Amino acid sequence: MDCAVPIDKPTDWVGSEADGSRLCFHCGLVCPDSAFALGEKHFCCAGCKTVYEILNEGGLERFYALSPAAGVRPQGDSARDRFAFLDDAEVRRKLLDFSDGRVARVTFHTPAMHCAACVWLLENLFKLHPGIGRSEVNFPRRQVSIQFSEAKITLSEVAALLASLGYEPSLNLGSVEGPVKDPVARGLVLRLGVAGFAAGNIMLLSVSSYFGLNHATEGFIQRAFGYIAIALALPVFFYSASGYWASAWQSFRARVLTIDFPIALGIAALFFQSLWDIFMQHGEGYLDSFAGLVFLLLCGKWFQRKTYDRLSFERDYKSYFPLAVLRKTEAGETSIPVSKVEVGDRIIIRNGEIIPADGVLISPAASVDYSFVTGESAPIARASGDYLYAGGRQRGGAIEVEVTKAVSQSYLTSLWNNEAFNKSERPDITTLTNVAGRYFTFAILAIALGTALFWWFANPSILVRAVCSVLLVACPCALALAAPYTLGTALRVLGRQGFYLRNTNAVETMAKADYVVFDKTGTLTTSRAQEAVYQGMPLTEEERAAVAALARHSTHPISRAVSGVSDRAVEILDFKELAGRGIQGRVQGRLFQLGSRSWLQARGDDTTAAYLAIDGDVRGRFVLKAAYRPALRRVMAALTERFRLSILSGDNPGEEAALEQLCGAGVSARFQQTPFDKLEFVRDLQEQGRRVVMVGDGLNDAGALKQSDVGIALTEDVAAFTPSCDAILDAQVFGQLPDYLAFARASLRVLRAAFVISLTYNVLAVSIAASGYLSPLISAILMPLSSFSVMGFSVGVAKIVARRMGLGA
Amino acid sequence: MGVLFILMGASFLLAAGFLAGFIWAVRRGQFEDTETPTMRLLMEDGGVKGTNLKEKKEPHE
Amino acid sequence: MSNIETFRYDNRIVRNFALATVIWGVVGFLVGLFIAIELFLPGVSGNLAELSYGRLRPLHTNAVIFAFVGNGIFMGVYYSTQRLCKARMFSDLLSNLHFWGWQLIIVLAAISLPLGISQSKEYAELEWPIDVLITIVWVIFAINVFGTILKRRERHIYVAIWFYIGTIVAVAMLHIVNSIEIPVSWTKSYPVFAGVQDALTQWWYGHNAVAFFLTTPYLGLMYYFLPKAANRPVYSYRLSIIHFWSLIFVYIWAGPHHLLYSSLPDWAQSVGMVFSIMLIAPSWGGMLNGLLTLRGAWDRVRQDPVLKFLVVAVTAYGMATLEGPVLSIKTVNALSHYTDWTIAHVHTGALGWNGFLTFGVLYWLIPRLYNTQLWSTKLATTHFWIGLLGIVFYVVPLYWAGIAQGLMWQQFTPEGTLQYPNFLETVVQILPMYKLRAVGGTLYLTGAVLMVINLIATVRSGSFEPETEAQAAALTPPTKDVDGPNPWRHRALERKPVLFIVLSLVAVAIGGLVEMVPMAIVKSNIPTIPSVTPYTPLELEGRDIYVNEGCYVCHSQMVRPFRAETERYGAYSKAGEFVYDHPFQWGSKRTGPDLHRVGGKYSDSWHFLHMEDPRQMSVGSIMPAYPWMLHNKLKTSGIQKKMSVLRKIGTPYTDEEIAAAPDAMMAQAEEIAARLKAQLPDRASQIDANREIVAVIAYLQRLGTDIRKSEVVEEVAAQ
Repeated sequence: MDCAVPIDKPTDWVGSEADGSRLCFHCGLVCPDSAFALGEKHFCCAGCKTVYEILNEGGLERFYALSPAAGVRPQGDSARDRFAFLDDAEVRRKLLDFSDGRVARVTFHTPAMHCAACVWLLENLFKLHPGIGRSEVNFPRRQVSIQFSEAKITLSEVAALLASLGYEPSLNLGSVEGPVKDPVARGLVLRLGVAGFAAGNIMLLSVSSYFGLNHATEGFIQRAFGYIAIALALPVFFYSASGYWASAWQSFRARVLTIDFPIALGIAALFFQSLWDIFMQHGEGYLDSFAGLVFLLLCGKWFQRKTYDRLSFERDYKSYFPLAVLRKTEAGETSIPVSKVEVGDRIIIRNGEIIPADGVLISPAASVDYSFVTGESAPIARASGDYLYAGGRQRGGAIEVEVTKAVSQSYLTSLWNNEAFNKSERPDITTLTNVAGRYFTFAILAIALGTALFWWFANPSILVRAVCSVLLVACPCALALAAPYTLGTALRVLGRQGFYLRNTNAVETMAKADYVVFDKTGTLTTSRAQEAVYQGMPLTEEERAAVAALARHSTHPISRAVSGVSDRAVEILDFKELAGRGIQGRVQGRLFQLGSRSWLQARGDDTTAAYLAIDGDVRGRFVLKAAYRPALRRVMAALTERFRLSILSGDNPGEEAALEQLCGAGVSARFQQTPFDKLEFVRDLQEQGRRVVMVGDGLNDAGALKQSDVGIALTEDVAAFTPSCDAILDAQVFGQLPDYLAFARASLRVLRAAFVISLTYNVLAVSIAASGYLSPLISAILMPLSSFSVMGFSVGVAKIVARRMGLGA
Repeated sequence: MGVLFILMGASFLLAAGFLAGFIWAVRRGQFEDTETPTMRLLMEDGGVKGTNLKEKKEPHE
Repeated sequence: MSNIETFRYDNRIVRNFALATVIWGVVGFLVGLFIAIELFLPGVSGNLAELSYGRLRPLHTNAVIFAFVGNGIFMGVYYSTQRLCKARMFSDLLSNLHFWGWQLIIVLAAISLPLGISQSKEYAELEWPIDVLITIVWVIFAINVFGTILKRRERHIYVAIWFYIGTIVAVAMLHIVNSIEIPVSWTKSYPVFAGVQDALTQWWYGHNAVAFFLTTPYLGLMYYFLPKAANRPVYSYRLSIIHFWSLIFVYIWAGPHHLLYSSLPDWAQSVGMVFSIMLIAPSWGGMLNGLLTLRGAWDRVRQDPVLKFLVVAVTAYGMATLEGPVLSIKTVNALSHYTDWTIAHVHTGALGWNGFLTFGVLYWLIPRLYNTQLWSTKLATTHFWIGLLGIVFYVVPLYWAGIAQGLMWQQFTPEGTLQYPNFLETVVQILPMYKLRAVGGTLYLTGAVLMVINLIATVRSGSFEPETEAQAAALTPPTKDVDGPNPWRHRALERKPVLFIVLSLVAVAIGGLVEMVPMAIVKSNIPTIPSVTPYTPLELEGRDIYVNEGCYVCHSQMVRPFRAETERYGAYSKAGEFVYDHPFQWGSKRTGPDLHRVGGKYSDSWHFLHMEDPRQMSVGSIMPAYPWMLHNKLKTSGIQKKMSVLRKIGTPYTDEEIAAAPDAMMAQAEEIAARLKAQLPDRASQIDANREIVAVIAYLQRLGTDIRKSEVVEEVAAQ
C-alpha cells in the first residue's frame, strides 16, 4: 500500500537539525534564515508561516502533534482570483458532484496530501471556515470531497482555501469530466461474497455425507441437507456464475471459443448432475465442488485486477490543458473557462502557461516550448503575427494571443480524432489462456464423444452419467486460474518496482513483443537537465563567468542552461532583455550579448542555439545539448540483443551523431517526426507483423502509444500527466526496463508451466470420469487440490523468479 | 437428532443475516477505500484538545 | 455550516466498565487461584459446601469470562464505538441500565453458584431467571450500540464495529438457543433437550461462546487499540475486512469438535473437525495483520508496556487458534480430551489473549480518561514480565500434566492389562504440576495487583474528564449517483438494513425456536434401547444434587470407544443411554475417573464413607469431601413438579408414578438406608433415609446399569 505512514519525528520537535540549521516547523525543510520565525518556531517561507497561523486560529494546531512537520509548502499565490473561473456557472455545474441550491459538494484531486495528518486536517476544514461542512478524504485517490453551503462560501474560495493550506487542487480540462469509476468492482466483490458464503455452507452439508451421513441411518437428515444445499447453490448458479454464462454465449455466437466456454460447460454439468442426483436420491451431488469452483474462479478474477487508484491510464489532452485562461477585453482581464474561449478572443498566456487553442501571436515575440507536444527539445522563437499551435508552453514574459480555432478544433485535439483512439476494447482472444482454452474445448468434446460411443456399446445405462462426469471434471478451472495468479503476481511485482501496468494482458503482450520504439525528447533525454555546449573562439574564465552571470538574469531555457557554464559571481550593469531576440548587459565596460542568430547577424546552421557577441563581434554560440538518461547506453545495449529498436524524435537531426554513438548503429533513428508520423510508423511495423512496444512521454507520442501493442508512458512524476497508455514507467527505474521486459517473458514461461500442471490434473480427472468411477468425494478432493496447487505454483514461482531477477518481491 | 435442525436453522439464520450485512456494506461502497479509514482512526482521538498532544511531549520513558 | 454538530463523548460509562473490569478481574483470578490450590490441598475449603471445588469452578469460569472479559469488552466497545462513529452513545439511560444490569447478573452469579444453584452447562451454569436477565441486558446493549451506529457521523463503518456487530448478534442467538429450558422453581429448571441433543446444543454454544465472546469482540478491540497504541495504520485494512467475513462465515460450524468420540454421530464430529481446521487460515491472517502493524515500531515495543501487552496478546491468539484446530484432530483429541491439556489450551487464550489485551487497553485508556500520564511505566513493565512468567508457569506444567496423564490412561502392560488400573495413581503423578500451576496463577494475580496500584496512582495524579467534546458534520448522501439528490432519503435507506439484521434475528430466533422445539423432540431419532428407563424419583433427586454440586466438573459420564477406556470403565457409552438425561452430564474433564459405568461398582457404604471423606476410602484422593450430604435433609416436596415438567419434555412418567412419587421415593430411600445400616453397623445411628446422601447413592448405583440388565447389549454395540 502506498500509504505514507506518519513517521515519528523526535517528540520534542521544535525543528532543529544536527548541523544546527533550523528546519521549518510546518514542512520540515531547511530554513534559509530566521526571517520567518514565531517564537522558537521557524519557517522556511511566508507560505508555511501563513498555514501555521491559519491552523492556529482554527484550533487545528494539533496537526503538528499528530505528525510533526508533515505540512506541505504552499506553492504559488493563493489569491482567490486565480480560481475565479470556478465560479463560472458551466464550470461549477461540471465540477460539483451534487448541489441542491443551498448545499453543494465538490471533489478535488489534491496530490499534495501524503500522511495521516493531512487526512485529519482536510477532514477538519470546517473548523477553518463556517461555510464548509463535511469533508471526506479518499487517500488512495488523493481526493477530498468537500460539502459547503453556497450561501457562505463560493467554489473558488474553497479551492483558494485548499491552496492556501498547501493542498493545491489540480484543476484541468479533464477534472470536469469527473473521476472515472470502476463499475466492475462492487459487482465482482458481491458475486465473490455470495459464492464464498454458499461454498462454505454447502461444504458443511456435503462434508457430512463424506463422513458417513447416509440414508441408511439418517435418510431424512441427508435428504434435507441435499435440498438446503440446492437452495444455497441457486444464487451461485444464477448470480455469481452469471458472468460465465454470458461470455460463454458470446464466444459461442462469435464462433471464437474462449476459455469461458469449457468452464461454463463444466460448471453447468456439475450443477445439473447434482440436481439430478439429489432429486433422484442417487447421492449428495457435487454442489460443494460447484460452489467452490465458482468461488475460486471469481477469486482469480479479483486477484487479477490490481488497480492503482492514483494513476490513470485513460488521460487525454484534456488532463493536460488548463481549465481556465485569462481573456483580455476592453473591460480588462478576466479568467474564463477554456471551454468558453471563442474564435477572435484575445487571451493572455503567462510564463509557463499552456496555449489552450491555436491562435496568432499579437505580442512582438514569444518563445514557445513544444517539447511535450512535438518532441522538439528547444523552445521556438515566434514573432508577432506568427501562428501558434495549442499545447505549447510559453517561456519568458506574458504574451497575448488571438484565438483562431476553438479548443476542440485545435491541432492537438485533432490528434484524438484519429481512429487509433477509438479502438474498442474487445476481449483479447489471442491470450495464451484463450488459445489453450480453444484446443481444450475440442479435446473435451472429442473425449466426451468417445466416452459416449464406448458406453453406448459397453453399458448404455451409465452413458449419460459418464459423459456428464467427463464434462464436469474436465472443467478447466485450474487452467483458468493459472493466468490470473501468475500475471497478477507479475503485475504486483512490477508495480512495487515503479512500473505500473494497466492489466495482466499488458504483461502477456509485452512478453510477446519483438520491437521497441522510443520517443527521444523527454524519454531518452530527461526534461530535468540540459547542458549548454560552447562552440567558437575560446573564452577566458572572466568571459565565461560574465556570460553565465548575464544568463542568470533570464528565465529562457537556453539562458538557464548557459548560466551553468560558470558559477563565479559577476556584477552585470544595465541589463536588458529584448523579447524574442536575446539579452545583453555590461561587465567592466564590455557589452555582452546573448541571443538569436538573426539579432546578432551571425553565420551558422539552424540548430537551436544562443549566439554570443562581445562588444559587437560574434564569438561563438551555445548549443543546447539534451542530457541523455545515464542508463541509456546500458538499456539500448541490453535491448538490442532481443528487440529491433527505433527512435522517433520530433527534434531536428542535430543530435543524430551523438545518438548513434550512444545507442549503436543497429538503432534506426528518425527525426522531425510529427505525432501522426509516429503513429503511422508504429502501424506500419504492426502491418509487417511486428509486436510493438512504444515508449514515450508526451502528447506527441499519444497516438503511437495508443496504436502500439503496449504503450509505455515514461514520467518523472507518477502523479503528473501521462498520455493514455497501457503502462506507466517511473523515470527513476528507466534503467531497469530491459529487466522488466525479461521478467514479463519469464512470467509467461511460468504460466505455461502452470498450464501443464493443470492439464495433468484434467487428464487424470477425465480418465477417472471416463471410466465412470467419479464420485462427489473424489471431485471434492481433486477440485480444490488442482486449483490450490496451481494457484500456489503460479504465485510462488513467479515470486521466486522475480527475486532471482533482482526484482525483490 | 432433531436438535440439529434447530442449531442449523439458527446458524443459517445468523449466516443469512451476516450475508445481508455483507451485501448492504458492499452496495454502500463501504469497502472501496481500504486505506483512509485506518489512517483516520489514528487521528480521531477527542475533539479540539486531544490527549495525544500531551503524550507527544513526554513519551513513555 | 449548519450541519456541523458539536457533541460530547461519554467517558463515564467507559470509566465504569473499566473499573468493573479491574475489580472482577482480580476476583476471578483470586477464585481461580483458590480452586487451583484446592486441587492439591482439598482441605483448604474447610469442607464448606460454598467453597467446594464443584461449585467454585463454575464461579471462576463465569467470573473471568463474563465479568472480567465481559466488562472489558464493554469498556472497549463503549470507548471505540463512540469515536469511530463520531457520536455519543445512543442513550445514556441504556448505557447505565446495561452497566448496572450486567453487574447485577454478576453478583447474582457470585451468590447462586456457591449456593449450588446451577444448570451444569459449562459457561451457561446460571439458572433461568439469570438467563432471562442476561437476555434483557444483552438486548439493551444491542439497541444501544446499533442506535449509535445508526446516528453515526462517519460514513465508513470501521472493521472493529463489524466485529462488535458479529458479537452482539451471534451471542444473542447462542444464548437464547442454549437456554431453552423449562422452569421447575425459581432455582431449578430442566433443559428441553436430553443427552446427545443437549450435548450438541451445549457445545455448539460452548464453542461459539469462545468464538463470539472471547474472540470476535477482542479482535475488534485489537483492530482499534493496536493501531492507536502503535500510532500506525493497520498493516492491511483490506486483510482485516477479509479476516472478519471469513471468520464470521466459518466459526459457527466448528462446535461439534468438543464431542469427538462421544456418542454424537461420527459425521457430525468430523464436520466439527474439518471446520475447526479451516479456521486456522482466517485466524492467522488476523494475527499476522496485527503483528505486521508494528513493523518499524519494534523499538517502541521495547519502551512501551502497552505495546508489549498487545504483542503478547496477539501472539497468544495465534498460538491458541493454531492449537485449537490441532486439538480437534481426532487422533490428537483421543489423547488430549479430558486431560489438563485442554485446560492449558484455554488458558493460553484466556491469560494471554484476553488477559493481556485487556491489561494493554487499560494501561492505554485510563491515562487518557484522566488526562494524564501512566503513573509508572516501570511498574507496568514489571507487571508485564511477572504476568508473562505467570502464563509460562501456568501453561507449561499443565501441558506436561495433560500429556503425561493421557498417556498413563492408555498405558498397557505387556500382558495386556492396564498399567495404571487405579485412576488415582495417574492423579498423584501430576500433583507437582498442579502445584506449579498454582505458582503461575499467583504470579499472574500479583501482576494484576501491581496494575491496580499503578492505575489507582494514575487516577490520583490526573483529573477525570467525564466528557470529551468533539465536532463533526452530520451524515449526508455520499454521491449523487448513489442515491439521488435528496439528502434525507438515503439516511433511512442506510439505517434500515442494519436494524433489520438485529431485530429480525432476535425475533425470528425466539419465535422460530418456540415452534421447532416440539418437532425436535418428536423427530429425535436416537437409536433407543428398550432397557433404558426413566430415573426413579429418588435417583432423579440424587441426579439433581449431582448436577448442583458440579460433579461434572471433574467426572465425565462418557466412556469413549477405546480399549483403554472400556478396560478401565466398562462398555462404551451409547447415545441411547442418555435419552432421559436433562441435562446431559458428559463433562469435559477427568480430574476424577469417568462415572458412566460406576453403578454397582462399589457398595453403598463405600459411597457413603467416600462422600463423607474421600480419603477414608482412597488415600491421596484430591476429591472434596461432602459431609453436608450426610446431614442435609432430602427434599421430597418438589419431586412431583419435577417429574411432570420432565414428562412435558418427553420423559414417559405416568400419572400414577407421579402421584406415588413421594412414597416411592421414601421406599427406595429406606431400602438403601437399611443396606447402609447393615454394612456400617457402628454408624447405624447416623444413617437416615431422608438425607441427600441416600439419593446421591441411589443415582450413582443406577448410573450406566440399564444397558447391562438387557440382552440387547450386543445388538446395540453392533450398530
